[in-house]
Amino acid sequence: MSAAATPGGAARAARRSALGAYAVTAALALAIALGSFVLHRNRSYREREHARARAAAEAIARGERPAAHLVAGGLVSAAQPSARYPFLRRRLVDGRPLGGPGAPPGDKILYDAAQRAEREGAQVRFADPDGALVLAARPAEGGVAVALVEAPGGPAGLPVGLLAGLLLLGALVAAGGAAAGPAPRALGLAIGGGALAAPSALWGGPAAAALVAAVALAGAAADRLGLLARAGAELRRQRIAYGFLAPAGLAMLVLVAVPLVVGLALGFYNHRHGTWTFVGLDNFVHILSGGGRALSDPLNFYFTLGVTVLWTAANVLLHLAIGVALALVLRQSWLGGRGVYRVLFILPWAIPNYITALIWNGMFQSEYGAVNGILSALGLDRVSWFSELATAFTANVCANTWLGFPFMMVVALGVLESIPRDMHEAAEVDGASAWQRFVHITLPHLRPALAPAVALGAIWTFNMFNVIYLVSGGAPGGASDILVTEAYRWAFERGERYGLAAAYATIIFLILLVWTVLGTRVTRREAPP
Amino acid sequence: MKIAVAALAAALALGGACTPEADDRAVVVWHSYAGDERAALEEVVAGWNRRVAAGDADAPGPRIALVSVPHEALSDKLTSAIPNGNGPDLFIYPGHDRIGDWVAGGLIEPVEYFVSEALADRFAYDAIAAMAYQGSLYGLPLAVKSVALYYRTDRIERPPATTDELIALGRRLTGGGRFALVYDNADLYGHAAWLHGFGGRLFDERGRVRIAGPEAVAAARFAAELGGPGGIVPPGMTGQMVSTLFNEGVAAMAISGPWLLAELDDGVPLAIAPLPVVSATGRPAAPFFGAEGVYMSSRARDKDGAFRAMAALAGDASAIARARRARQVVPNLAAYREPDIGSDPVLAAFKAQAERSVPMPATPAMRVVWTPYETALQKIIGQGADPAGALAAAEREILGYLEDP
Repeated sequence: MSAAATPGGAARAARRSALGAYAVTAALALAIALGSFVLHRNRSYREREHARARAAAEAIARGERPAAHLVAGGLVSAAQPSARYPFLRRRLVDGRPLGGPGAPPGDKILYDAAQRAEREGAQVRFADPDGALVLAARPAEGGVAVALVEAPGGPAGLPVGLLAGLLLLGALVAAGGAAAGPAPRALGLAIGGGALAAPSALWGGPAAAALVAAVALAGAAADRLGLLARAGAELRRQRIAYGFLAPAGLAMLVLVAVPLVVGLALGFYNHRHGTWTFVGLDNFVHILSGGGRALSDPLNFYFTLGVTVLWTAANVLLHLAIGVALALVLRQSWLGGRGVYRVLFILPWAIPNYITALIWNGMFQSEYGAVNGILSALGLDRVSWFSELATAFTANVCANTWLGFPFMMVVALGVLESIPRDMHEAAEVDGASAWQRFVHITLPHLRPALAPAVALGAIWTFNMFNVIYLVSGGAPGGASDILVTEAYRWAFERGERYGLAAAYATIIFLILLVWTVLGTRVTRREAPP
Repeated sequence: MKIAVAALAAALALGGACTPEADDRAVVVWHSYAGDERAALEEVVAGWNRRVAAGDADAPGPRIALVSVPHEALSDKLTSAIPNGNGPDLFIYPGHDRIGDWVAGGLIEPVEYFVSEALADRFAYDAIAAMAYQGSLYGLPLAVKSVALYYRTDRIERPPATTDELIALGRRLTGGGRFALVYDNADLYGHAAWLHGFGGRLFDERGRVRIAGPEAVAAARFAAELGGPGGIVPPGMTGQMVSTLFNEGVAAMAISGPWLLAELDDGVPLAIAPLPVVSATGRPAAPFFGAEGVYMSSRARDKDGAFRAMAALAGDASAIARARRARQVVPNLAAYREPDIGSDPVLAAFKAQAERSVPMPATPAMRVVWTPYETALQKIIGQGADPAGALAAAEREILGYLEDP
């Protein structure tokens, strides 16, 4: 610190802080450069080795014998199918039967390659996970030419010298610029940090180079505005706190941020039988346009959205009404055994909800279900619960109300306990009726505490997969499905349309995001001063 | 930090140690068997390993290391572990209908290179043919599973031989809270027997979904006759109700698979017979059959060794032990030449049924068919919807899933 008092010390400090800024920029640039290098290297390795194997297969097809690097190969004869089993067949390679006792280990690879090439045409691929063996096969006169080729050298190594040299050069430029003044300092950082753009352009094309340059410019700008220094100082000041946060932050990154980003990205792709194609906004357009289906079709997005909104509203209203009513009753001093009741009412909440959902599903079964049993004992008609939307929806709501009211009750009980008794007593003295006391004292106290509970309850209900999937199962014909079960069905029951399902998930996320933002606003306004 | 690293290392070591009898050359086999089936398989493997250790010339090795995986998790674990190189060398899967998916995903290895006609001859043709996909063979069959007709001998002397007999008998047995027959009629797996018996199929010869043909409509109409108002099957059937109602004697007959035996009380007087012949067509009702197989991972380390282990697991000695101990309906013809297995009435009935059944389609498209078909069945049986219209709507829905964007 005292060194900064002298002019030489100030220059040294400037150099040091510029080097710190450079290190951050260079680390990002290096990551980009390394990424583009690895992609480039793997691509060129694949192209080179595939071409080599293809050439060997060509040579075999012409009847030559490619000597170099051939592990196994030859002209595999057309299949002689077994008379009894169409899926069994014998093949010869260069006149010798493939397989049998004492056959060379490469025989199975030749055999399978010929089989596959006959079915799917010429092909070339790596034959082992390490990429050391390449297999090429192409139909040829008299059978299939197959070559299993060893890759003579591995993929190119990392150019450590080049990268280190460029990094060192960049550091020198950055330090030199910093010593010369503030404007050259920014220039030095931009140029020094951008040094890696040259090899990145070579490996990853203009896009990678532009990315590196952008990182360097951003680093220089952040340094000029003092952002880096401030962030560094903050990190140093709270070093221990950030140290403790780091593992959780890493876990959040891996478990939350990465899946979220991947999920969002998948929405822009279409998945068919294991292949992904980029389709831009097609999935979203398909969903939001209703997919060309009538509005009354359960597969139409707006139908499902309507069911979902109705489902959420009905549940939250019932949860709230029953929860608050029970809380009010449970608070009465004349009620004996209040503790027992409280435990009983919280019980539905304590049981895993899929168990509850399965029980309700059983109770609503038309022939032997408990609900219809009660109805017929009362002399009423049996109801086929899952054959119409209205009744299936009702069954779902019953099950979820059972699951949901304890939460609201617990929240309301907590608030009621906190209302000062003297307010009620004072109002009573002033001659307020029970209803007036409820409306003017209890309700204003309840509202701010219940608003976040309602916002949260709505989100849970909106995405209540278990109840819908297990109670009605979407019956009849997917009509009682909500958005989240619909997304599930697109992913796992309708031909693995992961892209479409991801787009559904993104839409659900956006709806809930809007809802949360609105909910927070309302809560904030409701909060007591 | 050191503690964390040590804990991690310990966890990894434990994870590695989960493979029993960790042995570099042993072939690792994943399976999801439980109960008697698991005991029988363990017995088979212990016998094989003993012979390998003793240097038996007919058991050239390698040794087999079994790893039990919960049934529900097996499929997901296979698809996630095998591409990363952490999977087994072989695995036993209770069905063949995922082969198409596995081939598309590069999970399994074709094995026809190893299989001679003499080896294939040891199995019932349909069972080994079910292991084939697109002209290649991907596994060896261990057992076949299909539904058959269970009947209570205290209420029925002779099982119905035709569907006309079934309905006539059913009318007499139904009434007063009792029903003649229970089966999962809203499920395509349960319905398939009638579909095939009426001559229907799910895919045409070019592999396209065709489920609304006249045969399929006739089969659905028949199912509605059985399960609709005034029918002989209770309304609102579900899979769980089958065992309960048959066990309690509410139903005199049930259509279910070998797994039902484990769910019934010991004292239930029952016998098993093949399903009746469909009177309208003269063809036997033919349920789906699933072939339980042993498959080889595409990342198996020593493929020759893995196949020797595979052949041992599917071999005759293994089949005899599994049929005897776990009553598995094994596809090995030699097993039924054993007097006790050949004369087992349960095995005989399921074997007879397996001979008149249709392999479950193994194409990936099949997975889209289930739910719409079942929705149509529910509408036809439960709500009296027009079979032709409901099936045509289901077909449109399925084709929509297979075609759009």
